[in-house]
Parts: sequence; structure tokens; C-alpha cells
Amino acid sequence: MDLFTTLLLAFISVVLINNLVFTKFLGICPYLGVSGRIDMAFGMGLAVTFVITLSGTLTFILDHFILVPLHLEVTRYVGYILVIAGAVQLVEMYLRKFFPALYDSFGIFLPLITTNCAILGLCLFLNIWGIDNVLEAAVVSFGAGIGFTMAICIMAGIREDLELADVPEALKGAPITLITAGLLALAFMGFAGMVK
Amino acid sequence: METEIKPTKSVYTQTLTAGLWRENPTFRLLLGMCPTLAVTAALKPALTMSVAVIFVLVCSNLVISFIRRQLKPHLRILMFTLTIATFVTIADLFLKAYYPTMSEELGPYVPLIIVNCIIMCRAEACASKNGLVISFLDAISMGAGFTVSLCVLGVIREILSTGAVWEIPVMPKSFVPWTALRMPVGAFITLGLLIALMNLISKRKTATAA
Amino acid sequence: MSKIKYFIKQSWLLIASSLFFGLILAVANAAWAPIMEANKIKKLDGLMAVLLPEAKKFQLDEQIRLESPSGQTRTIDLYKAISDTGQNIGWAFNASGFGFADKIELVVAVDTDFKKIAGYEVLSSNETPGFGDQIKLPWYLSQFAGASVGQLQLERTGNHDKIDDQIIAITGATISSQAVVNIINNTLLPLKTQMQQKGLLTGGN
Repeated sequence: MDLFTTLLLAFISVVLINNLVFTKFLGICPYLGVSGRIDMAFGMGLAVTFVITLSGTLTFILDHFILVPLHLEVTRYVGYILVIAGAVQLVEMYLRKFFPALYDSFGIFLPLITTNCAILGLCLFLNIWGIDNVLEAAVVSFGAGIGFTMAICIMAGIREDLELADVPEALKGAPITLITAGLLALAFMGFAGMVK
Repeated sequence: METEIKPTKSVYTQTLTAGLWRENPTFRLLLGMCPTLAVTAALKPALTMSVAVIFVLVCSNLVISFIRRQLKPHLRILMFTLTIATFVTIADLFLKAYYPTMSEELGPYVPLIIVNCIIMCRAEACASKNGLVISFLDAISMGAGFTVSLCVLGVIREILSTGAVWEIPVMPKSFVPWTALRMPVGAFITLGLLIALMNLISKRKTATAA
Repeated sequence: MSKIKYFIKQSWLLIASSLFFGLILAVANAAWAPIMEANKIKKLDGLMAVLLPEAKKFQLDEQIRLESPSGQTRTIDLYKAISDTGQNIGWAFNASGFGFADKIELVVAVDTDFKKIAGYEVLSSNETPGFGDQIKLPWYLSQFAGASVGQLQLERTGNHDKIDDQIIAITGATISSQAVVNIINNTLLPLKTQMQQKGLLTGGN
């Protein structure tokens, strides 16, 4: 039961308290350029969640069982980004073969996920947070993806409503999105201290 | 094989100044947002990050431009990634060795330069298609623009949230710091307002020019 | 053979550049690794020197494994503080735990008999600026200097100049204050017990 509690707390921590978008500023780049529709945001979120879970686990295994024992830590970043690129490539090939309709709807997003700060960021945070077993790494990665999806869906929803509002000319587009994100970050600060 | 046009002097100056205002990576092209928000809580980390980015940009642009004729189209993204990752690792090692406190403060955001859209985009859009000189100027220009925007953000956030710039107190004793600007809220809102300001200014410029 | 030839033709640049990049990474790492190691040691030493100023040097004595109630083990690096006459004048070690926002890492120093706390310094923390961040400030730190190793209690109000077992919390940052008290309590007592079992402490209880 204790392992379960640890995992559950780690999951909640990375979804709400240490949300990648609102506390670590990761994953904003592609979001700003993409249109603010909920269904597209959700689609991108799902793709990112899948890739992030895969990459997080794989990079953890790479680091733990190959890089550290062989004292090759200097190649960590190169190794991580290659694993991520490979994971994205795998997902792309898999989708193209078995779910072509889904693959078409993703369009440009899928290859773009490689440069999503959130994925590399999470792999690095797994290192920093001192996660020491594969299961926890997988759960935290998955949680990060869920947190990211939740964050951009909320923002997409607000953005959809904003299109009907009377936004001043200068604020249209990126500025109002950023201000929205800021207010959401403020709201999410309320979750801090939830996990003792 | 396409023929490359010999660049004229004006192309050089245009490339050099583009990154500062017209194509400023942060405020116009909206690239590289993640580090912009994360490290601009104060001026020192902002400047350190900018210098690191300039280093990586210049090195990667030069290397990519050097090998641009040998790049196989379907392997080029991989080549870009490998190049950028190597130089970022070198920058990170350098910071860890000579500026350990700053390296700790910047934390994971230094390796995140690898996925900083600015560098990848310039490699794709410019370095892989132009000669060494243009690529170098482009790197300097984008890097300078990035530095300016990061430092502006850093100065604003640092002054208003701690009353000091580069840890030297500037504001009068009676100033109550707006601590919120040091946290994520402040980052998002300040950047949003700055971009809005830039939009306003360029709109006025085009209006008066018209 | 032609398949290999095709493969090489397509990827020779990739292979060549990988080797080149690997080379410059190895060179950079070899050149700077000693400096990075020295930085780490300097940082820890610097913090410990603040806490135990009479110490000439700090020597890594043992690595003690502590088990927390939830079953997790952590390793504590125990440093012996040696004065210039070669005597042991105290102990220093790292301790960590969860604060309000994130993990808090401290370096704590105690006297030779593990009876009184010399003080602590914050290695890393991510507490709210202006509130939880105050665990780094002298007025909060000094409450621990001279406090006895035992169960420290967090109090909301009181006189923070008086050195005793009661630690006055930071207004508006109770959780961060409590976290530091917990970290120190949860590390010191088990550590002391283990050290007594190993015979590292010469004095009585």
C-alpha cells in the first residue's frame, strides 16, 4: 500500500502542484502558435502525454542503467534528445500504420513534439527530483503529460471565449494568452502545500 | 544544385539588425518562450542565459553552414539536433565549472536550450541555406535580440520585485516590492504586456508612415 | 555489400560528426571535470565552515543509512570537523525533506557529543519568496544555534532571541518553518542513535 501512496502523491504533485506549464514554464512555445481550439489542444495534449511517458521512462532507464554506471554523464543531454527524437519517430510510424486518420489529424504536431520543452524538461527534472525507480519515473512522466494536457485545455477553453470578447488590438493573440496563463499560474499556486 | 546569390552589403546589415526589432525572436517571432519566462526573475541569470544562447547559436550556425552542402535532407534534423546538443553540453559544462552558483540557479534551463526553437529555426531557415558570413551575422543578430528582450524583462522584474538591479539596490527604502513578479504569474503577465507594448508601438509606426 | 555502401554513403556525415562531437565533449569534460568536483567540495566546505568556524578541515567520515518510518532509506554523508590541533570539534551532514513548494536541502552542524546544534544552512530550497524564503534569514537560523538535539517544537509566537527548544515560526510561512524543524528532528535523532550504536560518539547519552 505504501508504494501506491508514494506513487499517487507523486502523480498528484506533478499534475497540480508542480504543473509543468504553470510552475516550470515548459511547453508554452508550441501552444502560443497553435490556434486556441479545445479539440486541437486536447489532441496535442494526448500526443504529448504518450510521448512524454515513453520518453521519461526510456531516458530514466538510459541514465540509470547505462550512463551513470559507465560514467558517461557528459553525453546525457545528447542521449536524452536522441531518445526523445527516436520515441517521436516511433510514435509517428506506429500511428501512420495503424491509425492513419489520427495521424492525419495530428498533422504537423507530431514531429514538432520533439522540440517541445516539456518533454526534455521532464526528463531533466526526473534527474533533479532524485527519482530512483522505473515505476515512479513512469508514473511521474504520465502525470506530467496529464498536467500539461489539462493546462492547455483550460487555456484553450478560455481562449475560445476570449475570441468573442472585446480584446484591445494590441493585446490580441500572444499577449492576452500570456496574461491568461499568468492568472492561471496564480490560481495553481493555491495547490502548493497540498502534499506534505 | 541551386546557385547562391552573392550577398550585397545591404543584405549584411539587414541580417545584422533584423533580430533586434523587426524579427526579434522573443517579442515578434515568439520563439524560445520557456527560458524567457524562467530565467528573467533577475538580470544576472537573464544575461547568463543570453550569453549561453549566443554561444550555442553562433557555434551551431557556423557548423551547420559549414557542412550545409553535405546535408542529406532526411537526416538534417538529426544533424541539427546533434550539433546543438553538443554545444549546449559544452556551455553547460563551462557554467558548471566557472560559474557554479549561476549554473545552479539556471538549473535545467541551460540544457533546455537544445529545444529552444530559436536555434533550431535559425539552423533550418538560415544556416543550412547561407554562407558562413551570413549565418554568423544572423546568429549574432538573433542572439542580440534575444539578449535585449531577456535583459529588459529581467530588469523590469528585478526592480519591481526586489527593488534592486544586479543585486544593487536602486529603489528608495520606502518601496514595497511586488514579490509576485518573481513568481510564474509575474513572468507571464510581464511578457504579455511587453509584447502588447511592442505591438502598439509598431502599429503607431506603420500608422504614421502610411 | 551494396547495402552497406548505401548506408555509409547516406550517413557518413552523421557518423563523422558524431565522432567529432564526441571528441570535443570528451575533451571539454576532461578539462573541466576536476574544476567541477572542486566546486562541489568548496561549496559544502564553505557552508560547513560558517557553522563551525574553528574547524580547519572537514573529513568525510562515514555514510550512514537512515530508515524513515515509511520504509524509505536515505544515505547521510557524515563529515567530521577537525580543528587545527587535529581534534574532532563537531559533526556536519546534509539533511533534506519536503517543504512547502519543493524539497529543502540543509547542511546541519552539531557539536562533538551530538548534544547541541551548531546551526544549519540552506543548500537549496524553492520556498515562496518573502515568506518561506525566510528560512534562510539570520533571525530564523540563529534560533537553532545552541538549541539542544532533541524534539524541537515550532511555536507561533514567542521570543526568538531566547535559545531553547521552542522555534518561533515565520509569520505566514508555518509550513516552511515546520518543514525545517521536521527535517532537523527527523535526521538528528536517528543519526545520533546510529552513531551511538556504531561507537562513534564517545560521550554518554
